[in-house]
Amino acid sequence: MPPYTPEELALPSKKYEYLDHTADVQLHSWGDTLKEAFEQCGIAMFGYMTELETVDIRQNPEIEATGHDLESLLFNFLNELLFLFSSDPFVVCSKLDITEFSTEGEELRIKCKCYGEEFALGKHPQGTEVKAITYSAMQIINDTENNKFELFVIIDI
Amino acid sequence: MVVRNYNQELEFLEKINPYCWRIKKGFQPNMNVEGVFYVNQTLEKLMLDELKNACRPGMVGGFLPGVKQIANVAALPGIVGKSVGLPDIHSGYGFAIGNMAAFDINDPKSVVSPGGVGFDINCGVRLLRTNLFEQDVLPVKEQLAQSLFDHIPVGVGSKGIIPMNSKDLEEALEMGMDWSLREGYIWAEDKEHCEEYGRMLNADPSKVSMRAKKRGLPQLGTLGAGNHYAEIQVVDEIFDKWAACKMGIEEVGQVCVMIHSGSRGFGHQVATDALVQMEKAMKRDNIETNDRQLACARISSVEGQDYLKSMAAAANFAWVNRSSMTFLSRQAFAKQFHMAPDDLDMQVIYDVSHNIAKVEEHIVDGKQKTLLVHRKGSTRAFPPHHPLIPVDYQLTGQPVLIGGTMGTCSYVLTGTEQGMSETFGSTCHGAGRALSRAKSRRNIEYTEVLRKMEDMGISIRVASPKLVMEEAPESYKNVTDVVNTCHAAGISKKAIKLRPIAVIKG
Repeated sequence: MPPYTPEELALPSKKYEYLDHTADVQLHSWGDTLKEAFEQCGIAMFGYMTELETVDIRQNPEIEATGHDLESLLFNFLNELLFLFSSDPFVVCSKLDITEFSTEGEELRIKCKCYGEEFALGKHPQGTEVKAITYSAMQIINDTENNKFELFVIIDI
Repeated sequence: MVVRNYNQELEFLEKINPYCWRIKKGFQPNMNVEGVFYVNQTLEKLMLDELKNACRPGMVGGFLPGVKQIANVAALPGIVGKSVGLPDIHSGYGFAIGNMAAFDINDPKSVVSPGGVGFDINCGVRLLRTNLFEQDVLPVKEQLAQSLFDHIPVGVGSKGIIPMNSKDLEEALEMGMDWSLREGYIWAEDKEHCEEYGRMLNADPSKVSMRAKKRGLPQLGTLGAGNHYAEIQVVDEIFDKWAACKMGIEEVGQVCVMIHSGSRGFGHQVATDALVQMEKAMKRDNIETNDRQLACARISSVEGQDYLKSMAAAANFAWVNRSSMTFLSRQAFAKQFHMAPDDLDMQVIYDVSHNIAKVEEHIVDGKQKTLLVHRKGSTRAFPPHHPLIPVDYQLTGQPVLIGGTMGTCSYVLTGTEQGMSETFGSTCHGAGRALSRAKSRRNIEYTEVLRKMEDMGISIRVASPKLVMEEAPESYKNVTDVVNTCHAAGISKKAIKLRPIAVIKG
């Protein structure tokens, strides 16, 4: 196990909530920057799968996502995280650290360190399964003037 | 888009009989055909309230009501007949859940839409019978529920226990239940009582992404979470004695097992991949839809064909999945009663798919046509004498399995001629949500739900307490209303009512 610095182990404060939708769940996250809102949105998704307090930080795999606009970047980012959870190494994360966040140019790109551990029945309470990320009613508020950064994503469960 | 108030919207809707409403052209732009939906008085209110809510001034960021979604589907290229909403309809991704639509394969403009199938490809219900009666099971009900829960992997993050490697997966994707049969997990008769005999022949695993296979491999033979369940049920009422007899159900009190599950992460990923591909195809082929979520591709295009082939692989995955859980259920019963599953007569009554697209022959305006029929949250319900239903059900019509929700009844219906001509041989699939999940979590107490289940004499084993609140019966439309509407409208016919005595859930 690689040693983690206290900064790496510190969990961010919660800046997300779950909103109403008939069959599915809408994630709503926010932050001081768009990057933070993205990180929070990812954590919100993991928060629906288990109780994040039970997750210890033991690994930090890195994922990469690209997109041609902010919406597809967010969609692909969440898809990568879902994939991380649903196939080997089955990691559930309580902290995300986006190390590269380029939202300019032709190809938008995210690199993200995902802090968490392998999901283990018995240790992690089972929440609800996320089937897929959707573009349905997706909203990205990227208002640098007023410092307002919010994301709305519906996940199919 | 034109903004209309609720009363103006209502002018496009017409009640044609106590169970059926017509959606006229113009309700949404570019409708090629009319829409229709089946509701009784109670369900009608839910449906219209949804529309009323969406018409409130200042309503933004919300979702489209089901009735609008039916109309948007009616605007897709190549659609024939009508866009049909079944009684359990509610708002979904692109297509409403409980929506079916058929497209003429020989029309080059016709499309296939992954949104018309849903993320959980070939999600479906299977019903096993036994020769046990309620009094045989009651003394050991808790043990049996626990045993089923121990045998079947359930909930988020659970992994299948049927040994599989990637080569096995490839074969299973191609062969469906033929694989399960070859590996010895099922009986030959099981295939006979399954739509498509448990295998879609056009499945092509090479069209499926590595990512889908990686998600699918650990999950084969798992129940999943959400609304999926395995239940021990007893026959509560027999409406059609003759049809019930053909299904091996003789008397009230007989014990059955119902399994509701789908293609797990595999199907979800196939759908996600296809949606991305189709966005591109839509731009290229200039396909216009009313809603971005109705991503689709021409049936004849590469994207359309690739989707159909990978969807078929996902369908096969789902059948193998339900077959694996059939095997595990038979084991659980056999161990409890110290009898072989065979001696317990644990035959598959039927297995239906309620999220799928299939090529079928139908009569449209007096002419026989080959159609691609999308059923999303809708079950095929073929009438007596239809060539695609097994010989045992030739005279009764196809058994249609309608799963209730946790703690409520389930039904077995049979297909009718009227359903064949009015709804392309389709009927409802279950209860359909009425409350949002977040609202259920806020309003319903976990312990309260469990206490109610206990009062009703239902043993429950569930992996996630939160899910109990989300899946509480109050969160759903009343399945009896839904089934009675289908029966009264004549699109299918009631045969058997089942009541749960034990529920196993994610």
